Amino acid sequence: MTVTAPHTGKPASAASGVPTVRQRPWRTGDAATGLVFLGPFLAVYALFVVWPVVQAGRMSVYDWDLLGFTREFVGLDNYRRMLWGTAMTWSTGHLAGLRLLVLAVTAAVITRRLRRGAPAGTTAAVGGAGVLGAAVLGFHPGAGGGWNDAAFWTSLRHTLEFTAISTPILVGLGLLMALTLHRRQRGTAFYRAAFFLPYVLPVSAVTLIWSFLLNPDRGLLAPFLGFFGVEPIAWLSSPDLAMWGIVATTVWWSVGFNLVLFLAGLQDIDPHLYEAAGLDGANRWQQFRHVTLPGLRQISVLVAITQLIASFQIFGQVYIMTRGGPGDSTRVLIQHIYESGFRNLEMGYAAALSLFLFVVMAVVSAIQFRIMSREA
Amino acid sequence: MAVATTAPPAVRPRRRRILYHVFMTLAALVWLVPVLWMVSMALTPNDALQRESVGLVPNGFTLDNFGEVFTVGHMLRWFLNSLIVTSAATVLTVALCATAGYAFAKIRFTGKRLLFALVIAGLMVPKEAMFVPLFLMFSDTGQQNTYQALFLPRIAFPLGVFIMTQFLSRVPSEYEEAARVDGAGRWRIFWSIMLPLARPAMASLAIFTFVLTWNDYLWPLVISTEREMFTVTTGLASLQSNFAAATEVGSLMARGLVGSLPLVVLFLLFQRQLIRGITLGSGEK
Repeated sequence: MTVTAPHTGKPASAASGVPTVRQRPWRTGDAATGLVFLGPFLAVYALFVVWPVVQAGRMSVYDWDLLGFTREFVGLDNYRRMLWGTAMTWSTGHLAGLRLLVLAVTAAVITRRLRRGAPAGTTAAVGGAGVLGAAVLGFHPGAGGGWNDAAFWTSLRHTLEFTAISTPILVGLGLLMALTLHRRQRGTAFYRAAFFLPYVLPVSAVTLIWSFLLNPDRGLLAPFLGFFGVEPIAWLSSPDLAMWGIVATTVWWSVGFNLVLFLAGLQDIDPHLYEAAGLDGANRWQQFRHVTLPGLRQISVLVAITQLIASFQIFGQVYIMTRGGPGDSTRVLIQHIYESGFRNLEMGYAAALSLFLFVVMAVVSAIQFRIMSREA
Repeated sequence: MAVATTAPPAVRPRRRRILYHVFMTLAALVWLVPVLWMVSMALTPNDALQRESVGLVPNGFTLDNFGEVFTVGHMLRWFLNSLIVTSAATVLTVALCATAGYAFAKIRFTGKRLLFALVIAGLMVPKEAMFVPLFLMFSDTGQQNTYQALFLPRIAFPLGVFIMTQFLSRVPSEYEEAARVDGAGRWRIFWSIMLPLARPAMASLAIFTFVLTWNDYLWPLVISTEREMFTVTTGLASLQSNFAAATEVGSLMARGLVGSLPLVVLFLLFQRQLIRGITLGSGEK
């Protein structure tokens, strides 16, 4: 068989150029044949991927009761409810750290683009979007006011916190594991299998184990920590620690996925580079520093952004282990969408929330595509 | 994926190599402790676990927990549901992705680039985000709590089309030319040349789809509200919020293990394909 080593291009490069095959056209209608082969997929794609997005847009401007009693056009009310509040004011100091970060990133991107001589129009647009974003984040409810839907902001904050904590751990640990397994001869298949195994377990099996593991009275973790003189900790029933319990669960469950991606990235590094470095008298550390690290650039970006997207959509672990509690301390965005739609029966509002999530994810994916296509 | 193919065997002192393996074996065992503990609890009588659950060695030994997995409660039904839904999703996904991939890779027609770009754009639609309009689509047509509602949204898998397109576009066109000279038509070429060649990619896609579908949680939670139509994943989750979670730990762990078993077996048999599915899907080799 000739096709044993598939080497796929990057998603973005494929988008700009469908692989075309040089061949004489078939005598009979190729458009028709193409449609026959594509038809079934395009049908389900249009129905289950494209149409729901359109439908969500439509629903989001209605007061749309799940049981179908009300269906009233409300314009942008759902968005006002999600993003706005009473007695709103604007101040320079609100969320200062985050907004400075937005400005700093914008400045960095613009500088890079200017140095590379990128199209000025797009650069201006990027700058405008960054400054506008930083400005908009300055709005907040003033004295005596409040957000229309405080739970939305709470769940958004928890989602961001979870993403910010879990992403570096999952990427860093995945890389570390891959490095310990790379370029070794024996036993690595077993170690890799051990680290990867949890990834194939259903989320509810994972939460089953970890809810008990983290339990202060019956779990394994308490006696282990007790060995070091730590009192039993009620991880999941403490508002401050519950999110950490969920992070630990998630890391154990899914780090194997990143490990596998990093291992593939490590194998893509040309072995001749190591040979050449070895001939030049580079020791292992120097080889790591000058061959491995530069070779990992692209895969690291890919893993980090994929992880960012996955972490942002966290739901199962939280919903099963804590139901968003104690209090609202682990409530996340998808849970808020789910409960708005299926507990409060407000499908229109839930659709508006879904679109918010959709836009955030699409922006992150678009950035990923940009970076990947540039590096490819 | 052979981990060590690229490694020029560095001459390492024997002692360092042994240390490495001791350390890695320990790390791997620690990583597996939660699973081992689960097995141990599943083999322990429920009442013994109420007194004492900490320990990796079963405190007493029983197979009752496993014996009643399918005879008590809904687990058997959930297991069959998952099998049906996951098999249907896997077969249909691979079929749709293979035909669409072939069209994108090998057939020339106007508008192909545009269509392909549209499919690629679908990679940006987060799979979890659109469950609200999807739910309405199925409930408005009276399809809540049905099998097709559970697997249909799953089979529109742009990533799979991308994988198959990439793979098939690397098949040299000489194969096709030769078959065409022999008088083979499109379907024949697709069926007897492309599909056999694409088997590795299809195997990876199938395993990957199987694992993802079996583990789906949010969509089954939304669309299947009747206990009889839960899947293993939502069913196991529903048991954990029960009072039984406190008293019947052994049974619960046995159910968790049995519910994960098909995936663990697949993993042990087809680890390479699964891993290749992941790396193909990310656009890496």
